[in-house]
Amino acid sequence: MTITNISNMAPELPLQFSEDLLSTPMFNLIHGFGADEHYADAHMGKTTRMSRYERLDTDGGLLDGSGIDPAAEAISRTDIDAEMEIYAKTVIVNEQVTLFENDKVLTKFTALLGQWLREKEDLLMRDLFASSASYLSATGGINGDNPTEISRNDVDNIERVLLGKDARTMLSNVEAMDKFGTGPVRDGFIALCNTDITPDLQNVSGVLLTNAYPSQKDIRPEEYCSISRFRFFVSSKGIKESSSSLLGANIYKIPMFGMEAVAKIEQNTYSAVMGYRPPHVVSSVAQNSQLYAKFAIARAITNQNWLSGLKVTQRL
Amino acid sequence: MAFSIIDRGTFTSDGTAQKIELPSSADYFVVNNLTQAAKTQTTGRGIKFEWFPELTDGYALRTGKENSANTTEVTTVTSGGFIYRTARPEPEAAVTGTAITAASPAVVSAVGHGYSVGDRVRAYGTTGMLQIAGMDFTVTAVGSADLFTIGYLDASGFAAAATAGTFRRLPEDAEVTPEALYITKITKAASAVVTFSVEHNYQVGQLVTLTVPSEFGMVEMDGLTGKVTAVSSANNTITVDIDSTAFTTFAFPASADAEGNFASAAPAGQRNTYDVDNVPFKSGQFVPYMYLAAGAQSPAGSTSDVIVWEAHKAET
Repeated sequence: MTITNISNMAPELPLQFSEDLLSTPMFNLIHGFGADEHYADAHMGKTTRMSRYERLDTDGGLLDGSGIDPAAEAISRTDIDAEMEIYAKTVIVNEQVTLFENDKVLTKFTALLGQWLREKEDLLMRDLFASSASYLSATGGINGDNPTEISRNDVDNIERVLLGKDARTMLSNVEAMDKFGTGPVRDGFIALCNTDITPDLQNVSGVLLTNAYPSQKDIRPEEYCSISRFRFFVSSKGIKESSSSLLGANIYKIPMFGMEAVAKIEQNTYSAVMGYRPPHVVSSVAQNSQLYAKFAIARAITNQNWLSGLKVTQRL
Repeated sequence: MAFSIIDRGTFTSDGTAQKIELPSSADYFVVNNLTQAAKTQTTGRGIKFEWFPELTDGYALRTGKENSANTTEVTTVTSGGFIYRTARPEPEAAVTGTAITAASPAVVSAVGHGYSVGDRVRAYGTTGMLQIAGMDFTVTAVGSADLFTIGYLDASGFAAAATAGTFRRLPEDAEVTPEALYITKITKAASAVVTFSVEHNYQVGQLVTLTVPSEFGMVEMDGLTGKVTAVSSANNTITVDIDSTAFTTFAFPASADAEGNFASAAPAGQRNTYDVDNVPFKSGQFVPYMYLAAGAQSPAGSTSDVIVWEAHKAET
């Protein structure tokens, strides 16, 4: 009996393209949303100055009836400058790609450039946190390294530091509800950390994972948990320093901050520019086209007293 | 494939390695040593060095004058050539040390360290001197292939020398400048003088916020913001307008009491004095760049050599 099967009759087209594209990996963008946003106008120079008037001294001030005026106090103003920087990425596409590819590549490439734009912006803000803040080493853990893994005492110590410098919390509380297994979340400062230490976060005394918040309304997907007065947001690109602990392990820096600690300045009309250059412009024989994305950003620590953080290692 | 020149320049060698920032990625880089090319060489001497993306870090294609007849020969240099960077490099591989003197300045024994003056290194695992474990230092002198000095650390008051230590060379530039830095000394004076462990980039008129953990003694300084009134590059210090005369003396904790915290200073803006070029927060690094090693058989040449360089990019 002769059977017609795929051995003697293979499909004419052995391959088909699934139009349901697989996901492009994208890391959590956590380093920008806690920043104060400022805007810079065009034609006004490259540097943006943000100013803060400092509070007056509260000593003295009692009028003793003598008619002598109290000493006048000079007003003090602190200026924080940030320089605008422009970043760009481009993709050049040959016409044969657009001609022969099954997918609508220009649309996809544009989406990739858009993703690059926001990821790059996030990493630039991360670098600001990494290099321009003071961090304290965690000491309350038990892994025998220095710093240790994160502990409740370490987290509480940073709250003490921030409150002692009059920092304000950024996130409002989540009120308790009559739901089994949930607990109220206090108004909180923001903490940003690497996903490598999520196992250690779960071990901290008093941790409340996001699923145990009384309400899931307005909870960002990047949020991992609440510990004491801090809401922790995680990213695989969180700050990590290779082999820097006493025992040579990786150190993770966790920026922990309150309102108006850092600023992100966007150049008006230049915060996200996407463009396309057609083949007759890019190539003398009109065979290559070009896509590009660019953005302008300036960044600054606006109040070092309202930004602190921890250096930790993994418990492992 | 055709090449377009994307940048060119010239410099007179000071006998040290050079870092040349490039406006875009490069596919070919060439250096000509005009001084040495014009001379008759009695011993082998490189006069032209070329780089291609296919070369390993530290390699270069070298054209040299090999004898007094000026015969040229092309060879491959396997160390002391070019290093092309498109991203901030990770800390280098660890170098094991055997001692750090309890002296001023502290001197490190580490066989075959390979470091140069100006390099920034991170120390950890400093047995017997754990109060500096995790701190970054600038190499201020190189005594031999096995000895280097971390001149901004006065360890003369430490109870003991370190009997071990591990060191990793760090990228020379911070992600963002001005950056937060570790402090090794604060004087008690009408205007306190602050010494940093690595070379600082602070400017007169700038504000810095100081963090001094309790184990460092001078707790009165913790959280204060001062204005930089003087800068000493020779001593790597800044003078701030904070009267520390009555403060507790600044001192490192004993090795056994070290918690991995360090005193630090962080940029906090400026007041009344404006340095728009240097003080604003901005990127501390520029990539891509080409690193040129120095020496008779290296692209950055020897002292007083006039070097011309060109960067090229392949046309698409």
